[in-house]
Amino acid sequence: MRSYWSAIFGGLGIIGLQSVPVWGHGVVITHEVQRAIAIQARYDTGEPMAAAQVTVYAPDDPTTPWLTDTTTADGEFLFTPDLGQPGTWEVQVRQAGHGQILAIPITETAAGLEITSGEAAQGAPNPLQRGLMIGSVVWGCVGTALFFSRKPKA
Amino acid sequence: MTKRLLFLILIPVLAAFGQGCDTAPEAEAPVTPPEVTEQTTTEATGTLQIRANGEERARDGFTSKDGWELSFDHIYVNLAQVTAYQTDPPFNPERDDPLQAEVEVTLPVTTTVDIAETDPEYETVLVGEITAPAGQYNALSWVMQPATTGPAEGYALVLLGTATQNRESIDFALQIEETLAYQCGDFVGDERKGILVAGETADLEATFHLDHLFGDSRSAPDDSLNQGALGFEPLAALAENGRVEASMADLQTQLSGDDYDILRGILAELGHAGEGHCRVTDA
Repeated sequence: MRSYWSAIFGGLGIIGLQSVPVWGHGVVITHEVQRAIAIQARYDTGEPMAAAQVTVYAPDDPTTPWLTDTTTADGEFLFTPDLGQPGTWEVQVRQAGHGQILAIPITETAAGLEITSGEAAQGAPNPLQRGLMIGSVVWGCVGTALFFSRKPKA
Repeated sequence: MTKRLLFLILIPVLAAFGQGCDTAPEAEAPVTPPEVTEQTTTEATGTLQIRANGEERARDGFTSKDGWELSFDHIYVNLAQVTAYQTDPPFNPERDDPLQAEVEVTLPVTTTVDIAETDPEYETVLVGEITAPAGQYNALSWVMQPATTGPAEGYALVLLGTATQNRESIDFALQIEETLAYQCGDFVGDERKGILVAGETADLEATFHLDHLFGDSRSAPDDSLNQGALGFEPLAALAENGRVEASMADLQTQLSGDDYDILRGILAELGHAGEGHCRVTDA
C-alpha cells in the first residue's frame, strides 16, 4: 500500500517537474562561435538576386545537396560548412533561368582549416595586390639591410 | 663587413623586384595549352555524353516579348570541337581568367542536331559520347560553325517555324552562318552534371536559350532579358507573302543597324551550360 501511494506521488512529482518550464515559458539560449561563409549574389547589372534558390554541395558528395535555402532580399546567404569536410565546397545560386556555381576551397594547413574566398580562389592577384606584395617584400629586405648596416653604439 | 652584408641582402631583393616589374608577369601570361590526359586501359574511365538542349521553348514553342506565338519545326545546330574539361581552379566564364584544364576530352566528330526534336525520355538530343577519365567535368566548350552537309548545310544555326499573332501567320527560316566558339563553366540546373564515376555514364549539356533572341511574354516587359532581346517584330516586318527567309548577310542589309547589332550580340549569349553563362572566344 505504501509503495502504491509512493508511486502515485512520485509520478505527480515527475509530471510537475516536467511541466514547470512550460508554465514559465522558459527559454534557454546558448551561443557558439563558428566560422561561416557569406555569399553575395548579384546580376551583372548590380541588382541583388533576391530570394534566389541556393544549393550547397559538400566535398564528400558533390551530387547530393548538403543544404538548400534562399538568399535574402539583398541577395545574401550565410552558411556554416562542416569543417570536418575539407575540400571544395560548391554553392549554386539560381533565379529566373540564370545562375552560377561558386567553388569555395577549404584546405587543411598547419595552422588549421583555411577558407579561401571565392574571388581569390578564381583569380590571380590584381596589379594593386601584386604591387603591395612586391612592395612588402622589398621593404622587409631593405629594413633588414638597414638593421645590419646600423652603426654600433659607442 | 657591413657593406658586404648589405650587398648580399640586396641581391635577392633586386632579383625579386625585377621579377615583380616584369611587363608580362606569370599570372597574366597567355593560356598554356591544357594538358591532355592520355587514356590508357589501366585508367579509371566511364562514358561521357554530350547532349544539346533548346529547352521547352524549342520543343513546345512560346510567345515572344512582342506577342508572336512561335512554334518550331526544326532548330538545327551544327556543333564542332565539343570538348569537356576538368578544370582547376573552376572556370568562370564571366571573368577574364583562362580556362585551365587538367583533363580534357573532345568528341571526334562534327554533328548537326535538331534541338526542336522531342525526346520523351531525356528532353535533350545526344550530340555524341566518348570514353573519358573519371572525375568532375566542370567546363564545356564547343564551336557552332556552318555545316558542310546535312539539313543545315552552309549554316551554323537554322531556325524553321511559324509565328502567329492575331490572324497573321508567318513562316520563317532564319539561317545563321556566323561561327561562334562558346566556353562555359559548370552546368547549373536542377541536378549536377558532368560528375563521371568509373564504369558509369554521366552527361554534360550545351543549352541554347531562345528567350535571349525573341524575349518571353511570361517575363515583365522591363525585365533585362526582354530589354535586351530582339523580339520577332523586326523579322515580321521583313515578311513577304507570309514568309521570311533570311541569312545573316540578308539581315545585315534588311534590319536596322541597331537591330542587327542586337542580333549579333544575342548570338554570343545564346549558348549556356544549363543556366550557367558562357563566353564567346575566337574560333
